[in-house]
Amino acid sequence: MPGKTLVLAEHRAGKIKSISWEAIGFGQKLAERLNQELKVVLIGKAIGDLAEEVSRRCGQEVLTLVNDHCETYTPEAYCHILSQVAQQETPFLFLMGHTYQAIDFAPKLATRLGRGFIPNCVDCQIDADRVVFVRQVFNGKINLQVGLKGEPPYFVSLQQGAFNAYEVQSRQSPRVVNLTIPLPDEVLKRKVLEIFQAAQGKVDLSQAEIIIAGGRGLGSKEKFQLILDLAEALGAAVGASRPVTDGGWLPKEHQIGSSGQTVTPKLYIACGISGAIQHLVGMMNSSCIVAINKDPNAPIFSVADYGIVGDVFKVLPVLIELAKEIRK
Amino acid sequence: MKILVCLKQVPEKDSRYKIDDLATWIREDDLVFETNESDVYALEEALRLKEKLGGEVGVLSLGEERALKTIKSGLAMGADRAFHLSDPAFQGSDAFVVATAIARAISGQNFDIIFTGVQSEDMAFAQTGTILAQLLGWPHATIVMEVNVSEGGKKARVKRELESNLFEVVEISLPAVLTIQSGINQPRYATLKGIMQAKKKEIRRFSAQDLGLESSQLGKTGSMVDHQKMFFPEKKKKTVILEGTPEEAARTLMERLRKEAKVL
Ligand SMILES: Cc1cc2nc3c(=O)[nH]c(=O)nc-3n(C[C@H](O)[C@H](O)[C@H](O)COP(=O)(O)OP(=O)(O)OC[C@H]3O[C@@H](n4cnc5c(N)ncnc54)[C@H](O)[C@@H]3O)c2cc1C
Ligand SMILES: Nc1ncnc2c1ncn2[C@@H]1O[C@H](COP(=O)(O)O)[C@@H](O)[C@H]1O
Repeated sequence: MPGKTLVLAEHRAGKIKSISWEAIGFGQKLAERLNQELKVVLIGKAIGDLAEEVSRRCGQEVLTLVNDHCETYTPEAYCHILSQVAQQETPFLFLMGHTYQAIDFAPKLATRLGRGFIPNCVDCQIDADRVVFVRQVFNGKINLQVGLKGEPPYFVSLQQGAFNAYEVQSRQSPRVVNLTIPLPDEVLKRKVLEIFQAAQGKVDLSQAEIIIAGGRGLGSKEKFQLILDLAEALGAAVGASRPVTDGGWLPKEHQIGSSGQTVTPKLYIACGISGAIQHLVGMMNSSCIVAINKDPNAPIFSVADYGIVGDVFKVLPVLIELAKEIRK
Repeated sequence: MKILVCLKQVPEKDSRYKIDDLATWIREDDLVFETNESDVYALEEALRLKEKLGGEVGVLSLGEERALKTIKSGLAMGADRAFHLSDPAFQGSDAFVVATAIARAISGQNFDIIFTGVQSEDMAFAQTGTILAQLLGWPHATIVMEVNVSEGGKKARVKRELESNLFEVVEISLPAVLTIQSGINQPRYATLKGIMQAKKKEIRRFSAQDLGLESSQLGKTGSMVDHQKMFFPEKKKKTVILEGTPEEAARTLMERLRKEAKVL
C-alpha cells in the first residue's frame, strides 16, 4: 500500500506531548510496514525551533503550518488548515494522539471531508493489504476491531501509553517544509478568552509514597470514610476517581487521572475503582498497584500487581485493623 | 432559549457482559439499562438555563423501545417534550449515522443550543455532538464545565476542561452544540410530581423513513468505519489474585506488601 502517513504532533508551552511521540514512533513502524512515506505535521505560531527538533529527532519531514492565528488552538482553524493539508498531501492514514484536542476537532475534520474517525485505538494489526485497529468499548471491558472503510484518508487517534513500545527511530531524511494556508475570516470567529491552570489546592499527591484511592464503588460520601481511615492507619495520602470528586465526596484536588493529578507512588491501592483509561493514565506508573473490586473483569485488574476480587466493605475494615497493628 | 439534550441509553456501569454469537454486539437479555452519565449532567445544565432564561427543553434519544425509559426519566426530571428515534435499521450505526438521524429529526425546530454528553459509556466514540455540529453548520465546544449565555442569547461563554487541570474559556455564537462533562453541576432527582407530569408530555416518534433515510445510509452499511467484531481483551499484566475469605485475602495482601513487594 504505497502512499503517505501523516502524524499530527501536538504541543503545549514549546514541548511536544509525549503521546505525540508515541504516535510518531508507531507511525514510523506502520509506514515502514506499508512501504509509505511519513510526515509529521505541526501547527502553531512560533514553531520553527520545535519543527527543527522534531525533524532532527525522527529524521523525517516535518510539515509546518505557521499562522499568527494559531497561537491558541481553535477547532475552526485546525479543521480549515488540516482539510487543506489532507487534500494537498492525499495521505492514506492521518494519525494523532487521542487528546482533548483530538476529541475536539477530529470528528469535525473527518466529517467535513466525508470520512470517518476511529478514536482512542489501543492496538493495530498490519498485513500487506489490510490494516485493522482495535479500540475499547463498554467502559473498557470489551475490545472492538475496526477496519478502514471507503476511500482514504483514514483518521485515527491512539490511546496514551498503548503504543509506547514503538520508540521514535532516527531516519535519514530530516527536513522542515513550511506550508502557508491563509485563514478566511469566518474561521476566526471563535474567541479564546483565557487559558488557565486550576488553582493548585493544598493536596499535592505527586510526592506521596502511598496512596489509598477510592471510587464510585464506595457508594456514598459517608462510606468513603473507610478510605480515609485506611489512609490514616497507613500514613498514606487519599486519592479518588472522578465520580467521587464530581459527587462532592472529596475536593477536586484528590482526583487522579487525565483531568486530575498524575501520581507515581510506591504503593497505590485502588478500591471500588473500575479502571477507566482516564483514571489509569494518572496512576499506572505506580511501582506497586493493588486493586480491590467485586468485579473480576474490571479493567483495573489489567494494571494491578495484586488483586482482591471482593467487597470493599468486607475487605477494608480488615485492612484497617491490620494496618493499625503494623503501626503499633 | 430552546434547548435540546441528547440522551443515550447504555447498560448499567457494573454490567457483566456476554458477546453475542455474531460477535458484533453484546447479549442484552440480562442487562439493565440507564441514562449515560454525562447526558444526565447535560440535562441538568439545560434545565438550569431554562429556569434562568425561560424557554423550553427537549430531550432526544435514538434507540429501541427500551430507550423510552431514558426519555421518560428525562421528562420526569423536567424536560418539556421528547423525540424518540427508533428503527431496527439503526442497529450497528456509528456516530456519523446517529448524528445524521438527529440532524434530520430536529430540522426546522430552531433550537438555540444542543447539549450532548462528552462520550457514551458503551461505544465511547466521543463524536456524536461534534459531528452533529458539523452537519448543522454550527460551531461547537467539547468537554464543557460551565455555560453562560450572553448578548441576549446570541452568544455563549463556555469553560472547557483541558488536560492536567488546565481550563479554557471561549466565546462562541449560538446556535451551537456543547458536549457536557460530568461534574459540571449536581443533577437533580425526579420528583413524584415530575414523574406524574411526564405522563402527559409529548413524545414524537420517528422511524428511519420519517427521517428520509434509506437503508444504505443506516446501520453498518451507512457507517463511516467498519466495526468488525467484539472480543474480550487479554490481560497484559500478571495480577496475583489473593484468594480466600475477605479476611484471609486482606491478611495475605498485608503479608505480601510487607515481605514480597516491600512497600509497607
Ligand atoms: C474527558 C474525560 C476525562 C476524565 N478524567 C478522569 C480523571 O481524571 N479521573 C478519573 O478517575 N476519571 C476520569 N474520567 C471518568 C472515567 O471515564 C470513569 O468514568 C471513571 O474513572 C469511573 O470511576 P469509578 O471507577 O470510580 O466508577 P465506576 O466506573 O462506576 O466503577 C466502580 C467500580 O466499583 C466496583 N464496585 C462497586 N461496588 C463495590 C463493592 N462493594 N466492592 C468492591 N467493588 C465495588 C464496581 O465493580 C466498579 O468496577 C474522565 C472521563 C472523560 C470522558
Ligand atoms: N443513540 C443516541 N441517542 C441520543 N443521544 C446520543 C446517542 N448516541 C450518542 N448520543 C449523544 O452523544 C454523546 C456522545 O456519544 P458518543 O459519540 O457515542 O460517545 C452522548 O453522551 C449522547 O449525549
